Amino acid sequence: MEYMMENRAKRYVLLVGILCSCAFILAWVNTWEDIRRESAKITSVSAQFSQQKHMQILTKPLVSKGLFYFQTPDSVRWEYTSPIKSVLLMQKGSIKRYTQGSRGLVEDASGSLESMQIVLQEIGRWTRGQFTENEHFSATLKGGKGARIILTPKEKGLASMISRIVITLSPDRQGVIKSVKIIESEGNYTLFEFNDVQINRKISETLFREVG
Amino acid sequence: MKAFTLHGRRVLILMCMIFLMSCSRLPVIRPVDPSVVPDAKGQCRRPFLDTPYRFIHSIEVSFPGGKTGTVIGITVFDPTEKTIHSVIMTLEGFVLFDARCEKEVRVNRAVPPFNADQFAPYMMEDVRLIFLAPDGKLLDSGVNADGATVCRYQGRRDATVDVIVHNDGSWGIEAYNTSHELLRKIRAVDVRNRIPGMVELRGFGFREYSLRLKLISAEPVSYEANRIRPGKTPDDDE
Repeated sequence: MEYMMENRAKRYVLLVGILCSCAFILAWVNTWEDIRRESAKITSVSAQFSQQKHMQILTKPLVSKGLFYFQTPDSVRWEYTSPIKSVLLMQKGSIKRYTQGSRGLVEDASGSLESMQIVLQEIGRWTRGQFTENEHFSATLKGGKGARIILTPKEKGLASMISRIVITLSPDRQGVIKSVKIIESEGNYTLFEFNDVQINRKISETLFREVG
Repeated sequence: MKAFTLHGRRVLILMCMIFLMSCSRLPVIRPVDPSVVPDAKGQCRRPFLDTPYRFIHSIEVSFPGGKTGTVIGITVFDPTEKTIHSVIMTLEGFVLFDARCEKEVRVNRAVPPFNADQFAPYMMEDVRLIFLAPDGKLLDSGVNADGATVCRYQGRRDATVDVIVHNDGSWGIEAYNTSHELLRKIRAVDVRNRIPGMVELRGFGFREYSLRLKLISAEPVSYEANRIRPGKTPDDDE
């Protein structure tokens, strides 16, 4: 009985990080051109996040909390502080994940070269605001204040795991997203909400290299 | 002649191995004076809660070679109805496996490799072993060499299940096959109000593995909450 996650599951895990990182480059937008223009202004993002998992088996959502850092072109730190400490680091073509276990913070066995390549491809596209050119998702933009982007999987395999993704932008603060909702199936979705979002502040490079 | 001798030796060694394997013995249970251990059977029920509960654990999985991976496990069980609903998901919330076990195992969702043949029944059997009291006949009870209370039950598929309750409140479960070889070994520690803070399960046999379940939350649930309810479609405008 091995619980090793295979490529499709890994892709989902990594897509979550990518979606949340790259979505910060969005702003008050009405068109895809607005997104491309605004995305060019963002060089770094840091934020706190809360993750609410909603499922039929749960009477109340399972809440996880953490910190998120993004630095163009492709550095990401996606860190859970509770209920389980875990750090995902992506930098210069390298991706690693460390999770608190019986032997302390140890590297997780679920990394792979393929997922790393997907990450880099996706980051490259999204940081350039290229939602419409994405090979994995079709994008629909509902513009205006508090705009939403709805992503629908193109591939049948991915569609069997993710029904759609809804990115909601902050109606009050330009350049900040309010939430990312990943809907897997009826009654089963994950809602990421962000606060204390800092745009274009200097982030130490060691944050993307070192776990501690 | 030499070839025959070598062949004969191999057969002899093989027979000795088969003989030794067939001679595997279950751990000895010593009978106890009822005045010393008044209610061995009652003590052996302590690890198993009497009402429906929902447990959420972080599960550290150890693979051969020392690699580890961590997932989140959600388990809802009803000891009266003997039902289990189990979900495994990534830390990011992606559901890898979702199955219910009533009279039979029904898989709602299984992402590769969780859709592998026989994964679901084996996985649900592990969950059942941890959370539900053995429903087979009580074969023996007493104390083991360490002085812990032991109850031996007839398990599923002719297995034998030992429930071992230690004096400090921690407990263990061991499952053996018909040849009395150890199949599963469970150890529950940091027990408070009958709920263990940590459960370790080791699987033996063809593929060895170990799971380390660290408690995130435990709460009683109503029977209705344990039933499958119609799913709510999330509103994109929320």
